[in-house]
Amino acid sequence: MSITNEDTARSAGRRFGLWGVLFILLGASVLVSLGIGRFAVPISHVAGILISNVLPIEQAWPVVEERVVELIRMPRILMAGLAGAGLAVAGAALQGVFRNPLVGPQIIGVSSGAAFGGAFAILVSESQVLLIGGAFGFGLLAMVVVYTISRQQGRASILMLVLSGIVTSAFFSALVSITKFVADPDDKLPAIVFWLMGSFASASYDKVLLIAIPVVAGTLVVYLMRFQINVLSLGDEEAQTLGLKVERTRWIVLVAVALISAAVVAAAGIVGWVGLVIPHFARMLTGPDHKLLIPASALIGAIYLIHVDNVARASIPAEIPVGIITALLGAPVFAYLLRRAANKGWSSE
Amino acid sequence: MRLPILAAVLGASFCVQGAFADPIEIIDQRDRSVELEGEAQRVVTIPIPAASMFIAVDGGTDRLVGMHQLSKTAIKGHILERFFPDALAIPSNITGKGFSFVPNVEELLALEPDLVFQWGHLNDDIIDPLVNAGLNVALIKIGQEAFTRKWLEMMGAVTGKPEKAQAMIDWRDTVAAEVKAATDGIGTEDRPRTLYFMNYLSSLRVAGGKSYNNFYIDLAGGRNVASDLGMFVEVGVEQIIAWDPEVILLNGFEAKLSPQDVYDNPLLADVSAVKNRRVYKMPLGGYRWDPPNQESPLTWLWLSMVLHPDKFDWDLNDRINRNYEFIYGQGVTDEDVRNILRFDMNADAAHYDIFADG
Repeated sequence: MSITNEDTARSAGRRFGLWGVLFILLGASVLVSLGIGRFAVPISHVAGILISNVLPIEQAWPVVEERVVELIRMPRILMAGLAGAGLAVAGAALQGVFRNPLVGPQIIGVSSGAAFGGAFAILVSESQVLLIGGAFGFGLLAMVVVYTISRQQGRASILMLVLSGIVTSAFFSALVSITKFVADPDDKLPAIVFWLMGSFASASYDKVLLIAIPVVAGTLVVYLMRFQINVLSLGDEEAQTLGLKVERTRWIVLVAVALISAAVVAAAGIVGWVGLVIPHFARMLTGPDHKLLIPASALIGAIYLIHVDNVARASIPAEIPVGIITALLGAPVFAYLLRRAANKGWSSE
Repeated sequence: MRLPILAAVLGASFCVQGAFADPIEIIDQRDRSVELEGEAQRVVTIPIPAASMFIAVDGGTDRLVGMHQLSKTAIKGHILERFFPDALAIPSNITGKGFSFVPNVEELLALEPDLVFQWGHLNDDIIDPLVNAGLNVALIKIGQEAFTRKWLEMMGAVTGKPEKAQAMIDWRDTVAAEVKAATDGIGTEDRPRTLYFMNYLSSLRVAGGKSYNNFYIDLAGGRNVASDLGMFVEVGVEQIIAWDPEVILLNGFEAKLSPQDVYDNPLLADVSAVKNRRVYKMPLGGYRWDPPNQESPLTWLWLSMVLHPDKFDWDLNDRINRNYEFIYGQGVTDEDVRNILRFDMNADAAHYDIFADG
C-alpha cells in the first residue's frame, strides 16, 4: 500500500530530523558550556584549546585557560551530561516497566539506598571504587526490599510498589542519618554531607570514567530490552499472553536502573526530578515506543543537566547545589505535564 | 559609647568589693536582660571560641562546667592543655557533632549551669529549648570586632572580673589602632588579594564580606577577594582561579588540612598564592586564631607580617610571650611559639622565616 509506505518514509524523515536536531543541540551545548564559567576565557581561545588536542597549532593562550577549559570545565560538563542521560534513561525505563508516569529512581527507593551505601563507604574507607560499589549494592538492595514488600501472591501491584518505595526510602534515609551521626565531625562528616548534597564541583576525569562505565552499560541493557519494555508497558497479563517472562524482564531492567542510579549518586549525590520529568518531554517528541524514547531521553537528559549545571557553576560566585535547581524547575513542569497527561488517559492503577 | 561601659565596669567592681551575692545584670547581644543572683559559678559555653575566652577572663577552669566539642579539640594537644590541664575534664558532649549548636537540653540541665552562652545570630530553635527549660541564657553574635569586645565585657561582668576583661578590650583597641595606623596608607593595589578557606577538604567554602575574617584581612593590609559574598559561602574552583588570590589562609578547624594539600591540587597550580608558596595555615594558640578570640590582636599582627613581610617587623615572639603572661598568667618558650605559629605546616611557606628568629 503506497499510503503506508509514504507514511513510513515521512515519519522516518521526521525522525531523522529529530535525531539530527538533538545531536546538534547536545554538541552545541557542550561547546557553549566550555565557554561559560566564572573565569573569563575568550571563545577563540576555547576553540584553539580544543583544536590543539588534534592539530599542532600555535598556542596563543595562557596555560591557565587551558587548565580551566580542559581540567575543570570539560570533566564537569561530561559528568553532568552522563548523569543527565543516565537519570533520564533510568526514569524512562522505570516508567515503562511499571506503567506509571509517577515513577523515578528516587521514588522506587534506589536513590536513598545508594545514598546510604555511598555514605557508609565514605565512613569506612577512602576508596572511590568502594563508594560506587556501596552505592550500587545498597541501591540494588533497596530495590529488592521494595519488590519483596510489594509482592502479593506472586505479583506486585503498582500502588504497593510505590508505597513500598516510600517506606524503604524512609528507612534508608534514617540509616543515612545514623551514618552522619556516628561520623567523625572533623573529616568524615563534612565529606558525607557534601557528597549527599549533590554537586559536580569536584569533577575530574577519573570520576567521569567511574560514572561513564556503569551509565553506559546500564543504558545499553535498557536499550537492548526496548521491545520487552514496550510489551511490559501493555500490562502484565497482556505481556504474559504474548509469551514474555514478565518478572525476569522486569528484574533485568531494574538491575540496569540500579546500576545507573548508583553511578550517578556516587558521582554527584542525589539529583532529583531529572528521571521523572525528562522522559515526559521525550515522550511528547517520540511517542511511547521505547526504541525511540530511550535514546531521546538520554540526549534530552544530557542537554538538560549540562545547562542546569551551567547555571549552578557560573551564574553567581557561589556554587549552587544542582539538586536545588532541578527541583525548582522539575516540580512545576512535572505538575503541568501531569495535568496534560491526565487528559490523555495515562493508566493509573 | 565608652561611658556606659565604664559605668558598668565600675558598678561591677563595686559588687566584688561589696557583698558576694549582689545580683548582676547584663544585657546580651540580642538586647535581652540576663540576671544572676551573684557571680556565675557554673557556666556552659556553646559557641566554640567562647570556652577558651571564658577561661582566659576568669583565669581558670573552675567555673566552666561545659563546652562545645570543637572547643575541646582546640585545647587538647595544644598550649591551653598545658596551661589548664583540668580543662580536658570539662564535659563537651552537650551539642551535636561538627558545627552543630543544637544543645541536648537534659545533658545541659544535668550540669546545673547558672549561665549558658549561646549563639544569637543563628535560628531561635537553638535558643528556645534552653530558655523553656528555665536556663539563664546569654546570647552572643559573631562577625564584627565590636561584638567580640562585648563578649569580653559580659564575661568580665558575670565572673566579677571586669578589670581583666577591660584590660583585654583595651589591648584589642591598642593593637587595632597600631595595626590600622600602619596599614591605613596602603593603597588598594598594594594590598595582596587574600582568600580564607573555611572549608577545603570536603568542599570549597570561603569567608565573605560579612565574616570576621573579612574584618581582619582588611585591618592587616589585605584585600578579601570574596568580600562581595555573605558570611561563609561555597564556591567552585574556577571562581578561585578567577580571583587569583595572592595569599591563601587555611582554617584551623580542619585539623588535617595543610598548605601541602593546596600545593598538590593540580587545578589550583596557576593561582598566584600557590605559585609563590604563600598558603598559610592559621596559627592555633590558646584558641584557633581565625575566629574572634581572646588572642585576636596577635592574629592581626601575624597576618600583617604574612601579607607584608617587607613592611612589618613586629617582635611577635615577644608579643606572644608578654600577652600570654597577661592573659593566662603563663609564659611560652620559643618552641611553643613555633608550635602556635604552625611551623609544622608553614615552615616552607614564603617569607615564613621572618617568624623564626627569636
